Order: sequence, then C-alpha cells, then structure tokens
Amino acid sequence: MITVDEIKRMLPHRYPMLLVDRVTELVPGERASGLKAVTCNEPWYEGMPDTATEEDYHYPWTVLIESWCHVAGVLVTWDRPNPDVRSGKAMLLGGIADAEFHRPVVPGDVVEHHVRLARQVGETYVFEGESLVGKETALTIGRLTMTMRPASDLTAPPVPDPL
Amino acid sequence: MPAAACGPVDGTVEVVDPGLPGERPARCVAVVGVSEKVFAGHFPGFAIFPGVCVVEYVQRGALATMPEREPGGRWVLAAVESSRFLSPVYPGDELTSEYVWSRKDGGWRCRASAATGRGPAAQIRLRFENRDAPGPVAGAGERSEQDRGADAG
Repeated sequence: MITVDEIKRMLPHRYPMLLVDRVTELVPGERASGLKAVTCNEPWYEGMPDTATEEDYHYPWTVLIESWCHVAGVLVTWDRPNPDVRSGKAMLLGGIADAEFHRPVVPGDVVEHHVRLARQVGETYVFEGESLVGKETALTIGRLTMTMRPASDLTAPPVPDPL
Repeated sequence: MPAAACGPVDGTVEVVDPGLPGERPARCVAVVGVSEKVFAGHFPGFAIFPGVCVVEYVQRGALATMPEREPGGRWVLAAVESSRFLSPVYPGDELTSEYVWSRKDGGWRCRASAATGRGPAAQIRLRFENRDAPGPVAGAGERSEQDRGADAG
C-alpha cells in the first residue's frame, strides 16, 4: 500500500490537484490500482448554493479523469521520484480516446481506479482502464496518453500521440 | 444545464457566436485567469493548466452552444470520444473554441478546437446524451428472459 506521504515524493501534484489518496496495487511496468475518496469538502463544491440538487453534486467527469491519471502517474514514477517539476519533469496529458461516463460519482463514494500500461514509447506512456465505485463502473478509459517532459521544454508542443 | 456547475475551473465561458449547424461553427471564449484554483498545485513554481481543465472549458462551451434541445431534456456529457492536447495553456491565456455539431444515435456530438494566442491547444470530440429521453420498450428484458426459459425448457 502506498500512502499519500509516499505519493507526494513521487508526484509533483499538490493541493488542490493531488487526486489520489492511496495506491493499493502496483505491478511495475504493468498496472496499478488506487483509491480516491470523494467528499463534499472538495474545492469544486465550494460555493454550491443551498438550492443545489443531488445532480449538481455529481463529481465533475474531468476531475475524475485527472484522478485516474494520478494513479497512472504513480505507476510511471514510483521508482524515479519526481516531486518538483522545476528540477524534474512535468507529466503532460497528450491525449484521451473513448472515455465513457457510466455511473455518476457523488460525495461519500470511494472510487477505485484501475490503470494498465498498454504501451510505452520512450517517455510517452499509453494507458487504459476503468474506475469503479463498489461493483459499479463509473468511468471507462479506452486509451490515455501521457508524456514526461522537462519543464524547460514546455514552450514547445508535446510529443504527438504515437498511435 | 445545472444551475450550479461545479468543476475545476473558475472562469466563465462566453458565447461569441452561437453558430448555425451545417453552415458555421459556434464560437466561445474563456479566460484562464492567473488565479485559477488549480494552479497552486499544478504545479508549485510552474503553473500549467491541466488538460482536463481545457476539456472542462470546452464542455461548458459545448453545453452553451448545443443546438435545439428537446424541451425538458437533461443533457449530460456521455463521453470524451477523443482529445488531443497540442500545446500548453498558461495563466492569463485566452482560450477560444469552435464547435461543429452533429447528431449521433439520438445524442449530440461536437468536434471542438480550442486555441490560445500561440495557436491550437486542443482538439476535442464530446458526446452528450439526454438522460430524460424515453428508455427502451418496456418488457424487452422480460421477453429475452422468457426466450431463454423456452430454450432451456
């Protein structure tokens, strides 16, 4: 089990954009699973009026995708810590394909992300996987590409999706 | 669209041109403010706008420009069919976006291009579905169970 303090030695992401609480399984070069506890106390819910409905509290799908990405990030960086992009690298999202949204996630849910590494081409990684709440599938990701780039590189466009 | 949209972005999307399906794309603009809440953690000392936040702004522009919706419908984002991130987005960037809409299987789909002053930032395809649309014919599931029962019998 990889806890938040260890995750913060691997990933440069910090509040409010550190969106994985625990990595529960990691097979290097293959796959990882991790948990994200969803709470009404997250910053996306700040300022929700009292008139908001249950639907208004559906966890933003874009944030759920980002959370899934952080499990992918741990899979990639667990053995080469990258806690500061200024001296290390930035993990950049290159592309997404077939991210499907099934069951809305709401405060009180604990999301279990499953990430599998499908391909690696240099510093570009291609992942696939899904996110569950209990037995229900909330999100499926057909393909997601991330690239590790030095921060100094970031005035140039990221590496194109090799697929 | 929910009255209180929550998400990882702090700005608002303005519709510059609602467009005309089949004739010209819809156009929107949003400013990625230097005080966006995500920058504090993405990343400390080097602020770069997360790709998913670009998708969030584009999603909001899409909801604002979706062509005629059935009255009483509840349109929700069903999928990010594809997204390619072409260049980084930084604090202070003005994000302009264009939307070409088409119908697909009872849903709406848009092809969107987002750009900053430096050029193309992302190409995104989104699919929306109406969750209040009438469901499948009632009893279809029961029929298939009966068929299975007949086969087994």
